[in-house]
Amino acid sequence: MLFIFREDPRVNAVQRGAIDGVAFATSFVLAPLDAWDRLRNGFQSRSSLQEEVLRLQQENRVLKGQSQRLASLLSENARYKALLNSARDIEDELIAAQITSLSPDPARHIVMLNKGINDGVADGQPVLGAEGLIGQVTSSGNRNSRVVLITDSAHALPVQVNRSGLRAIAEGSGSIDRLVIRHLPATTDIRVGDLLVTSGLGGRFPHGYPVARVTEVIVLEGDAFATVFAAPSSLLDRGRYVLVVMWGDLQREAAL
Amino acid sequence: MIERRQALWVIYLSLGVALMTMLLPLPMEWRLLRPDFVALALFYWVLALPHRVGVTTAFGVGLAQDLIEGAPIGISSFGLMLATLVLLFSYQRVRQFDGLQQSVVMLALMVLSSGVEGWLRTGVDLPTLPLTGLLGFAMSMLCWIPTRHVCRQLRRHYGVV
Repeated sequence: MLFIFREDPRVNAVQRGAIDGVAFATSFVLAPLDAWDRLRNGFQSRSSLQEEVLRLQQENRVLKGQSQRLASLLSENARYKALLNSARDIEDELIAAQITSLSPDPARHIVMLNKGINDGVADGQPVLGAEGLIGQVTSSGNRNSRVVLITDSAHALPVQVNRSGLRAIAEGSGSIDRLVIRHLPATTDIRVGDLLVTSGLGGRFPHGYPVARVTEVIVLEGDAFATVFAAPSSLLDRGRYVLVVMWGDLQREAAL
Repeated sequence: MIERRQALWVIYLSLGVALMTMLLPLPMEWRLLRPDFVALALFYWVLALPHRVGVTTAFGVGLAQDLIEGAPIGISSFGLMLATLVLLFSYQRVRQFDGLQQSVVMLALMVLSSGVEGWLRTGVDLPTLPLTGLLGFAMSMLCWIPTRHVCRQLRRHYGVV
């Protein structure tokens, strides 16, 4: 019976409400751990903090230098595009969020973020880690949202080999450090070390975010298709801070 | 007239606490080993008070579990309801077993309920547990005796009937 009503707006409303409820309960369960962390941070030594500041400053300088070049390249690119009369790229707005918990379901790779509808998060928005795409928002409550990672075995996304422009579908494998590309002709030009980026096909993900690096290409003798394994660029089980890309209908229309 | 305390809230509180254990943080690959305290607590109460806790409670517990996991709503209810039904038919016999034998019964019930859940998940194209998920059942089995002990103490202390 519930199966029949699973798309009912009232059921969905309950599920959305449950996201916030679960997040609250999780913070309740985690409160002692958080308190311990805060206590430990409070006692962190001055020298280690100074070291950290120094490191971050250096990193910031390097990044700023790189972004200077990026800015000029972007404007150059925009001019070329204007010359070609093609659609203008809309810059993606980002929301910083924090991963608060993992879904207890061991068969899935789902995480909870501490940003929700109130912060502008909506279903289907891509989520970025430090080094590349990590997943997409599947359902969002008012203050929290659920994100399915690209390695979830129910997830697949359109990618492109950065080197050759070859398009493919990268499926999650259910193991946290691996994506699979099936159904590539055995003669395809794809090599170990190739970078896979989002291709933007289908309009779900914006074009050009790094996704994974090819780790293994298996071509069995006499087989028509190759199986390709790739490791996600971002370490999905490390790090707590992620970015949600505000990628709404407006951007989708502009991109397509 | 003798006033009888019926501290039914103890049942729901213990089930709630069991649901909270689902929220404890574990590394990604270790989640398989998490003992299923929710099912264990539910089965304990079915075994102890079959006239209080039955299929309806199992349905509610399954619903809560799905809301926590973000799974399609009701997908784990069905398995739990079925396992509860089996236990309701046989609770008199299972009560006579010693702890170890009961653990094996619990294992069988949990395999039944998650088997049914896996079957339903396959029906809606959702990923199911890998074979290593059996380790989780083993962990749950080991946790039966402690869970039973705690729940029993609670039941006796609060006189839940």
